[in-house]
Amino acid sequence: MKRRTFLKNTGLASAALWAPSFLQQFPGQTNGKILIVIQLSGGNDGLNTIVPYRNDKYYEIRPDIAIRDSEVLRVSDELGFNPALADLQKLYDEGWLSIINNVGYPNPNRSHFRSMDIWQTASDSHEYLTSGWLGRYLDSQCSGCESPHYALELGQGLSLALKGKERQGFAMNDLQQMQRTSKNPLLSYLGQQDAHDHEHEEVAYLYKTLLETQSSTRYLLEQAGGRRTRSNFPATAFGRDLRQVMELILAGNSSKVYYVSLGGFDTHANQNGPQGRLLSIYAEGVKALADELNKHNLWQDTLVMTFSEFGRRVAQNGSRGTDHGAASNLYLMGGSLRKAGFYNDGPDLTNLDEGDLKYQLDFRNIYANVLDNWLGASSEGILSNRFGDLGII
Amino acid sequence: MSDRIKHLYQRAGFGASPEEWALLQGQQFSTALEQLFTQANAVPPLTVASFEDLAEATMADRRKAGRLLTQSYALEWLDRMADPSESALLERLTLFWHDHFACRSLFGHLAIQQLNTLREHALGSFRDLCLAVAKDPAMIRYLNNQQNKKNSPNENFARELLELFTVGRGHYTEQDIKEAARAFTGWGSNYKGNFRFRARDHDYGQKTFLGQSGRFNGEDIIRIILDRQESAEFLVRKFWDYYVSAPVDESLIQELATVYFESDYHTETLLRHLFSANWFYEERFRAGQIKSPIVLLIGLRRTLDLEFGKPAAQTRLLRALGQILFDPPNVAGWPGGRHWIDNATLMLRLNIGAGLLSKRELDLRYRNQPELEILSDPSTRKLDASVTLQALLNMITGTDLATDFAILTDYLLPGPNRVDTENLAALVDNTEGEERLRRMLLVLFSLPEYQTC
Repeated sequence: MKRRTFLKNTGLASAALWAPSFLQQFPGQTNGKILIVIQLSGGNDGLNTIVPYRNDKYYEIRPDIAIRDSEVLRVSDELGFNPALADLQKLYDEGWLSIINNVGYPNPNRSHFRSMDIWQTASDSHEYLTSGWLGRYLDSQCSGCESPHYALELGQGLSLALKGKERQGFAMNDLQQMQRTSKNPLLSYLGQQDAHDHEHEEVAYLYKTLLETQSSTRYLLEQAGGRRTRSNFPATAFGRDLRQVMELILAGNSSKVYYVSLGGFDTHANQNGPQGRLLSIYAEGVKALADELNKHNLWQDTLVMTFSEFGRRVAQNGSRGTDHGAASNLYLMGGSLRKAGFYNDGPDLTNLDEGDLKYQLDFRNIYANVLDNWLGASSEGILSNRFGDLGII
Repeated sequence: MSDRIKHLYQRAGFGASPEEWALLQGQQFSTALEQLFTQANAVPPLTVASFEDLAEATMADRRKAGRLLTQSYALEWLDRMADPSESALLERLTLFWHDHFACRSLFGHLAIQQLNTLREHALGSFRDLCLAVAKDPAMIRYLNNQQNKKNSPNENFARELLELFTVGRGHYTEQDIKEAARAFTGWGSNYKGNFRFRARDHDYGQKTFLGQSGRFNGEDIIRIILDRQESAEFLVRKFWDYYVSAPVDESLIQELATVYFESDYHTETLLRHLFSANWFYEERFRAGQIKSPIVLLIGLRRTLDLEFGKPAAQTRLLRALGQILFDPPNVAGWPGGRHWIDNATLMLRLNIGAGLLSKRELDLRYRNQPELEILSDPSTRKLDASVTLQALLNMITGTDLATDFAILTDYLLPGPNRVDTENLAALVDNTEGEERLRRMLLVLFSLPEYQTC
């Protein structure tokens, strides 16, 4: 590895004395598997994403916003993709996509913030947890993951999903800003202060976090500068985030978990235009990512999980949009899915809960399979219940 | 000045402004303490505009207008916290209650009404406060009591009342929640913001709650819960986290719980006891609190007498740091402590001083929240504020660096500074007057120690 280069670059001969342990030891013991979580914020309308184009009820209660059956990209006798998802259909055709219908949780909450917390912490509807499911994975199950950048979020802040009780993931801002921050001489100086045994625990904790932040920033800057991918990622913020993930993976970055968000799905009014644009941004992005990973023989080691905090009300509202709903579909992608295609039948539009779809599968069951079957962890202790194997991952 | 007064002002309020700091020099501790309570008891209630006055503006796009109004009230509240002529003790205590009775208010006229209720009862009886909150329109909407009707009870408010607002888990059963929910049926509000008791939705039947039976209503439920000493204990644990901010000392928790319970939940009595106790000032309780984003911001405003070009930039800063007034993450409030800190928030915190003093740009875009970006003024993406440093210049010698660092450290940091400021002298070198002071402040605001109090 480039540890020697790293030390030289810092220009500090004594660096080894204060470099955190992860730089001095073998990098995290990974099983080589990569998890990429994509969060669609705002509540994506699953019904207009994966369209039940044979269902009369669907056209009846969405007279203005239903996707016309002539436009649907049909993949089964019942279901098809929104026309903006042509790129996703290609992944489906390759057997790289699994669509799980009717995913949710008991007593669904229809507030964005609360429901997002429930998804990120994997709590029950009436339970308030202050740590996230991936954060708890870092805490207890991710061996050699002392350094925060083993779980990396692309964005300005760190989501609750990546905050554990002891350890946390790392929020990766745009590189230029990270560059500026890491070159701040005053903070560099402070990072070197031996304050770890400070008599006040909270102050010591802050120094420790500062030092880890600086180390991870330097590490990531070096990694990010390492490899450029020439392939065509879309010129959207989401596309740039995925390109960044790709380049880090190619550089041999030791992160196991990447967390990327795409926002704007809260479509209360005139939803078809905006939702279609977002879905094509999403599909183009993940298609580019899959192609590039495939080219480097890494797709079989990658699992992409896409979720949203809730689906939307089955009936349209008075402004050609939809209001907050409950259960929806969730997408898993990768080159080594055990079962691709659809899991669960399409949604039952006649048997609703306050106008919303009922869930058939608890989202935490999917988390459990991700932890157990993909990350090689044990979901027990991270999630409050035990769940069976769905046979997908 | 005594270390005690400094600790008191930092924890009970938001830290002293330089002018207050000068006045406090040489003052008796008991006088300083009394002053805080005298000031708190003298404040007038907030001006709460009636719905009719706001109606015209709010009717066009109710949601958007309501949200903007909430934001403007939040900014006004920040101004009150930062104003040395207002009661810091009362504002910080009201912030505690806002965190305790965490409630997201989408409509400004309901938000300000709730804030006034919290403020009015802040130092008084928790019994009165709890009942007032149960009748508060913003809370009634937030926890779905509007939908709590005899034939289709909604348990949300009753559950949180027991779990988060009064007694905590382990002291009641699921059945107690159901019975309590029945007692609150028919407690609703109208959009104008008036409490409405809807008799036809109320369940007048017999209920059995915490072992007692009767035709209870919501008032009875609150009375019965607060008759249990466990409730006082639950509440003082929250006060402990907020004001003492250290691993719990069980014997001290019991001491506080007894004081609170025996005063029949008189909050002023509890706080006077806490702030007068010798143990509150022990070394083990110093520097143990990671400042909340609001405490951090208000401390800076008081120290530097900040004037924001665009006050709404504060909203962006606070959102980036994880604490928006009237918008807690959920009904459990802000988890606080180390939960405020991750790599992104820490770097932003350590750079705020530089952003204010050296015009280093802080980027406050809502990158992953395009909905918020649409609602906000793009010119608030930068933290643009003017500082007034005269009072701080009066505090220092202006010539002797070591002495001046010591004076400023004493004023700004909770304990002795362990960073060798001699090494940082180069940053200050060859400057004088205000520029010299700016550079010294920049150093001190960048220290992780400044993030604690």
